Amino acid sequence: MASTLRLYLTCIRNTLEAAMCLQNFPCQEVERHNKPEVELKTSPELLLNPVLICRNEAEKCLIETSINSLRISLKVKQADELENILTKKFLRFLSMRAEAFQVLRRKPVQGYDISFLITNYHCEEMQKQKLIDFIVQFMEDIDKEISELKMSVNTRGRLVATEFLKQFI
Amino acid sequence: MASFERASPALKEILLRIYSAEKPIEVDHQLYEFGSVEYHIKSSASDPQFTYLSISTPLLTQEVLLSYGLSPYTMQMVREISADVLEIVEPAKEGYQLTLRLDFSRIPRGIDSMKVITEVSSVQAVILSSQLKEMLQNVNSWDTSQGMYKPIKLVYHPREPFYVIRQPQKIIAVFPMRFKEYSDVIIATSFFQELMDVGSSEKWAKVPPCSWSPIPPPELRGEPFEELSTNGGFVSFEISSRHIEGKRLDKTVWSLLNFYAYVKHHVKCTRGFIQRRMRKRLESLVEVLQNSSLEEDGHIKKVKGWRYMKKLVTLSSKSKILKRRCGDFTRKIKRIRFRIKIHGFGRFRRRWLTMPKFSSPIGYTKLE
Repeated sequence: MASTLRLYLTCIRNTLEAAMCLQNFPCQEVERHNKPEVELKTSPELLLNPVLICRNEAEKCLIETSINSLRISLKVKQADELENILTKKFLRFLSMRAEAFQVLRRKPVQGYDISFLITNYHCEEMQKQKLIDFIVQFMEDIDKEISELKMSVNTRGRLVATEFLKQFI
Repeated sequence: MASFERASPALKEILLRIYSAEKPIEVDHQLYEFGSVEYHIKSSASDPQFTYLSISTPLLTQEVLLSYGLSPYTMQMVREISADVLEIVEPAKEGYQLTLRLDFSRIPRGIDSMKVITEVSSVQAVILSSQLKEMLQNVNSWDTSQGMYKPIKLVYHPREPFYVIRQPQKIIAVFPMRFKEYSDVIIATSFFQELMDVGSSEKWAKVPPCSWSPIPPPELRGEPFEELSTNGGFVSFEISSRHIEGKRLDKTVWSLLNFYAYVKHHVKCTRGFIQRRMRKRLESLVEVLQNSSLEEDGHIKKVKGWRYMKKLVTLSSKSKILKRRCGDFTRKIKRIRFRIKIHGFGRFRRRWLTMPKFSSPIGYTKLE
């Protein structure tokens, strides 16, 4: 199980290293404007082919690149209803605080749980390798955090159930 | 609504104030709790010895509301709260089910006084739990020839009724669970599953068997559809005679009456726990990103001019720095050793031998 995760993350890392070659490119439609072309998608010549990396049916990563921006959308695995609500809560919590992350999108792309938008300005301010490390580390941390949350909720439920049943003895 | 404390906090505070007052005070309070419970406390300065407490509470089930008021068993349980201090007044005050006359002079001084006042403040819980106790105590006395037993609907909270179904040798308590949010349903469902797991283990063989199902149990077939439409499923407890022997009766009754409150409290605490955990995780995730930033601030920087920039550009390697320093030192030595003074040469050198400056030596401000 861990080996498939390693392969999945390595594939994403390599794709990001290739895709994160961004440069400043003013908007061709509106003068004196500079917009992330991957969001607008008005000029096909500025867009690269999107890459979809699937670990399984439930987990996938979509990397869309353009000349001046890169969008990464993640779908996190949700094995049951409890993981489903925990994932939704947690990722929504992070998305609402997107300004703290700078590269996080406030609303995920449809069909995905969370999205990042990296522009050429981010690449100028931050180191490219560290950005890629952050994305990969983020994916690992999210999985780990959801699993830990689920375990904690079940453990709490068990303790509370034990305390409730003690009253009958 | 059921609360984990049996005593009403507001009633307790008022009774304590009357009890601890140095001189008789006039009190005429009306209290409302949980939207359906009403208290009336009256104490007059002209009759300082007695305080009158009237209670109106919706009963668990209308079946026990007899024409002459509460059942004798309930009356007996109320008297047993504190036989010395309180006395039931017949008939009760208009609009109330029960009126008590409290004699505070009979309350023992010291620590016991608090205990007595707390017990008196829990009269509403005593009334309701006595009704359920009466039902549970008759577990073994029902004739099996009666066949199917109709479920009895009990209402401890106006919007959260539960059912008690009498069966041979046991009573089943069924709780239809309803929640406002979907996430609450999921958290509660995982709690119910843990409850079933724990209850079915050998260590907990003595507790009432507990089960959860998403659909109404067979015992409730025939009840109105709106009563059986839930989003949290149905939790059932099988109460047998050993769960209501002696002191266990009171604990069993109180646990059943407070089951809804217990579950809601657990769901609320779990949500708070998840929120705290997410906040903590956010800080650690953001820290990782902050370490990857190149610059910390974006302030305007003032640089020292072209001479400084030339120095920065030329300072490219250690060997060159070393060579330059050696050259400076050599020139200094030469100047000291071979100092030949020519009068007027300095002026000549300054006027004819200096290179013209093509840039301004004044520092400029770099715009970000």
